[in-house]
Amino acid sequence: MKLDYLHLAEVKQFRRSLHLDGLTDGINLFVGPNESGKSTLVDAIRAAFFERYKSGSVDYLQPWGDSSGAPEVEIAFDWQGERWVLNKRFLNKPRCDLKVGNEHFSDTDAEDKLAGLFGYQFAGKGASRPEVQGIPGLLWVQQGTIQEIRGPVGYAGDQLQSALGTSLGEVAASAGDELTDTLEKQRGQWLTRTGKPTGDYKTAIDASEFGRSALADLDAQITGYHAQVDELGRLREQRRTIDQPQPWQAERALAGDAQNHLSEVRGWQSEQRLDEGKLKTFERSQELCRQQIQGFDADAKRFAKRAATKAKAHEEVGNFEARLPQVEARLTQANTAYVEASAAATQARQQAGRARLQADHDALKANLVTSGKTLKQAHELQKALGGLHEQRQASAIDEKALAKLKRHRAKLDELAIRRESLATRVQFDLLSDKSLTIGTESVTGKGERLLLETTELAIPKVGILRLQPGGTDIAELVRDQERVQAQHDGLLVQLGIATLAEGEQRVTANKNIAGQIEREAARLEGMVPQGVDTLSLQCDSDAARLQGLAGKLEQLPEALPDAGDEAMAEAALATAQTKLKAAEQAATELKQALAMAKQELTRASEEWEQLNNELESPEHKARIKSANDQLTNLNAEAASLQDAIVARQQQIDAAQPQVLQQDVERHTRSAEAMERAAIERRQAIDRLEATLETLGAQGLDEKRDTLQQEVEASERRRDELARRTAALNLLLSLLKDKRQALTRQLQAPLQKHLDHYLKLLFPHASLTVDENLMPQMLTRRPTEGTENGDVENLSYGTREQMGLISRLAYADLLREAGKPTLIILDDALVHSDADRLAQMKRILFDAATRHQVLLFSCHPDNWRDLGVAARDLQTLKAATA
Amino acid sequence: MPRFLHTADWQMGRQYGRFAADDAAALSEARFKVVERLAQLATDKKVDAILVAGDVFDAQNLADRTIRRTFNALAAFAGPWILIPGNHDAALAESIWMQAARLHAIPENAHVLLEPGVTEFAELGFAILAAPLTQRQTHDDLTAWFDTAQTPGGLLRIGLAHGSIEGQLPEAADSSNPIAADRAESARLDYLALGDWHGTKCIDARTWYSGTPEQERFKDNDAGQALIVEIDHPKAEPKVTRCPVGQHRWIKLHQHLAVASDLEQALQELDALPAQSVVDVTVDGQLDLASFEHLQQALGAAGGRQRSLVPHLDALRIEPTEDDLASLQADGYVGDVIADLRERQQADGEQAETARDALVILAGMLRNRRAGVAK
Repeated sequence: MKLDYLHLAEVKQFRRSLHLDGLTDGINLFVGPNESGKSTLVDAIRAAFFERYKSGSVDYLQPWGDSSGAPEVEIAFDWQGERWVLNKRFLNKPRCDLKVGNEHFSDTDAEDKLAGLFGYQFAGKGASRPEVQGIPGLLWVQQGTIQEIRGPVGYAGDQLQSALGTSLGEVAASAGDELTDTLEKQRGQWLTRTGKPTGDYKTAIDASEFGRSALADLDAQITGYHAQVDELGRLREQRRTIDQPQPWQAERALAGDAQNHLSEVRGWQSEQRLDEGKLKTFERSQELCRQQIQGFDADAKRFAKRAATKAKAHEEVGNFEARLPQVEARLTQANTAYVEASAAATQARQQAGRARLQADHDALKANLVTSGKTLKQAHELQKALGGLHEQRQASAIDEKALAKLKRHRAKLDELAIRRESLATRVQFDLLSDKSLTIGTESVTGKGERLLLETTELAIPKVGILRLQPGGTDIAELVRDQERVQAQHDGLLVQLGIATLAEGEQRVTANKNIAGQIEREAARLEGMVPQGVDTLSLQCDSDAARLQGLAGKLEQLPEALPDAGDEAMAEAALATAQTKLKAAEQAATELKQALAMAKQELTRASEEWEQLNNELESPEHKARIKSANDQLTNLNAEAASLQDAIVARQQQIDAAQPQVLQQDVERHTRSAEAMERAAIERRQAIDRLEATLETLGAQGLDEKRDTLQQEVEASERRRDELARRTAALNLLLSLLKDKRQALTRQLQAPLQKHLDHYLKLLFPHASLTVDENLMPQMLTRRPTEGTENGDVENLSYGTREQMGLISRLAYADLLREAGKPTLIILDDALVHSDADRLAQMKRILFDAATRHQVLLFSCHPDNWRDLGVAARDLQTLKAATA
Repeated sequence: MPRFLHTADWQMGRQYGRFAADDAAALSEARFKVVERLAQLATDKKVDAILVAGDVFDAQNLADRTIRRTFNALAAFAGPWILIPGNHDAALAESIWMQAARLHAIPENAHVLLEPGVTEFAELGFAILAAPLTQRQTHDDLTAWFDTAQTPGGLLRIGLAHGSIEGQLPEAADSSNPIAADRAESARLDYLALGDWHGTKCIDARTWYSGTPEQERFKDNDAGQALIVEIDHPKAEPKVTRCPVGQHRWIKLHQHLAVASDLEQALQELDALPAQSVVDVTVDGQLDLASFEHLQQALGAAGGRQRSLVPHLDALRIEPTEDDLASLQADGYVGDVIADLRERQQADGEQAETARDALVILAGMLRNRRAGVAK
């Protein structure tokens, strides 16, 4: 088919007319900006075919600004060697004329003729709808709808199917689909959509399983029943063979015998216990006797010990007494030595004092000779002072010695007081004509003497009382007093004074003179610058002092040529004193020890005496004999009792009471066990009989058979249905497979055309169509793997492309079936990218070798390389205007 | 001239799980009916006593109703029924016989011999030597003591036992409960009435298995009878007569269909079966669709005549002919499906069976559809 020209008048913006001729086979490209009239052209063509000429719904075709216009469209095309010219006027005096070759059709006849040729229908009422637009609805694509394929293909379905030949139409219509429905319905009774048993089939399966398990339960019950029957038989046999003879009676008798024997032995055992008690009493008495006898032995030992103690004390006293004379002799000797040493020391001290005076005297004399020569020259000046010095020389005294003397005096006073308090005081009041001698003094009348040492009191015609002052301190005190007195006396002589008071007076006087001298000396120094007088004064004083020293020396005893050293004498005295003290101590200790030994001897003698008296008494001797006799008797009795016990024990042991006891228990228990077993057996039999009776009444075997019958019926039903459903499944799957295979075979021509275009866009891709010839699945092989995509889910651009490819394939199919094909594309493929667009242009160009294509676009650049010259609508409009 | 009715193996209470529920019920019922017929037969033949040689009951533990109905069925014969237990109803410590006694179901004239021993029926002229089973199974010959058992002179010595005669039965597998083959002779028995073997079988002139009076399995061994035994006097040879009493025959058929005429013959055989039988038919080989429909109709018709008819067509293959297909109008891809199914029948076992079933279903549907269209 080839559209030749198109003429519009009073249509939208084409108020007068637009004549579009010279349309070619293949592609006719119309370009122009928006509102330039592209869509008006498309609308006019669609209205001319789809709308009834009388329709009022095409008022959109009215020329702009003129509601009373009469839109008119004329289309001429060639088809199968004949020219078809359609002229249609709408709204105002509407009419329709169609010339086909020499034939003329008008109004609805003309319209129906066209619809028959192109394969569309008119809407029953109102404007045309996609549902009735058939093939043109598919091939004439309005702006922005090219990706929509499902609807248009569906509305063109009948025509497309018929284009594929009659048999494809029969695939769905033949017996097969009806069979499938019926089979599905049947299958639905027994299987769910997912193939799980349901309905009767499930009931049969469940019943079979339930029945089988119930049957197993019953079988178990029956097995149990049989076991119980066997058990009952066994128990009855046991009762007959074991329990009926009553074996426990014999055991009871044996137990009785053993018990009797045991009782007898128990009697022996209690006698034995009595005798053993008695024996223990004997043993206790024996023990008491032995203890008593042992007591006697201890007394004898004690006596011997006392005798020994006594002898030892005696010996001790002897020893001490023997040592006594020796100790006393040593004491006397020490005493004598001390007296001698004391005298020697006194002498030595006197000699030493004299020697010191002599030395002073000699030194002073020599000094005086030397200084006397110097003195004479200045004597005058010091005459007045000389007198004073003289006086002072005369009263000079050694103050150190004086201080020492003072200390001795104080010591002596202290000793006198102590002696007064410690000395033995002898007071006497004698008859007037009587006298007695105390020591060497004979006294009369009334008086008191203090005794510092052992003093004998001689009473005429009576004898001598020897008084010995107690303690050791008194003698020591006397000696201290004598020693200090001697030192005191020596100092008095040395200082040249008679008493201490004299010495102290001299000190005072000397001090007065000295003061005078100082004052005089100071006055002399004022008158005479240098102290030559001092020397003169000294000479005089030395001379005077020398005189004094000489006087003193004369008062002292003569110097002894062999007088001992003072220090050595003092040391010898100290040694003698120590020795004396030791001797005194030894004597005292010995006397004390002796006194204690004597006292011990007395005590030991008394104790010995006392015990000796006791042991020698007749009562004591009688007690010893009695104890020994009693022990002998007890021994004899115990021995005979012991024999009796041993003999009886042998008797008891021989009887083995423990074994007898065990026999009693064993036989008793055996009897009990046997009887109990018999009772239990009887009870078990009763129980079993009752149980079996109950079970017997249940008719288990029959129940089982009934159940088995039911189970087998269920299983038969189940197996039947399993076979049935298997057969149905097989049938259904075969029907489906075969139908699919057939459909595929029938769709082959369409598939061929699809593949032809598709390989230009996607090499190695495939696009399947469903049985309604809808594009369904696009399968591509990008670089690796396979990519499947439902056409509905592809990208917008790809869907556009698929939409066009499918339509071109349908057009090829229709053309082969001898149907007219015209393809109108209004602004198609605006969403395709440059690469895809280039491919799509190849596809379009290819399709245009078989079909006339009207392509409208507002993007002239996109289509410049389509191989045809674009016709600009604006230019056309201008030309017409 | 004492006359006995010898029967055994009633197997009362047996059920038939492999059959449809109504058939099973009818078959169970038939066992009661046959006992009633035995009683009537005994009365008609004026026998002196009925000997029942064990397995009166099929199991130890049956419903009370079954026990009562069994003994009720004895009513038509007023003379003595002499029964012993067999292996199915052995006189165990607890047994169905005790249950029956507790139910007071056993009538006065029924002598149930639960212990081995001699029972004299002097006024009737015979003594019974009974060897009841007191265990389910034994490997001792329970009739051994018959040899030394004493009976009064002038009385017939009638043995009553249940077990396998040694070396005589085809299925010697069950060697329990053995009975010496020459027991009748060694024990000087006038007649030894046996039970256990379900077909009627004569061991020797004095030793017989009566078989079960109502057949209950597919074994062609002359079952469904009772024996009338007449013995003129001690040591006289017994006169034994077989009396059919069973209601249902059990018949097993196997038909192989190779050529078209085989079907005709098979159908004739089906037609010829005695009515009210229990039939088990196996058909294998191959058939066209039309013949298969024919076969099915014939099986249906035969099923109506018989007590039970169970067909086994598992191994039967269906080969539709061109005519079949034409008549089914199975064009287009449905035809392809049929071809595929024919192919699949060549496979083994279950798959072939499923394909056959599918083919039958499809053919049936197409036929129905065609009929629908015709209407």
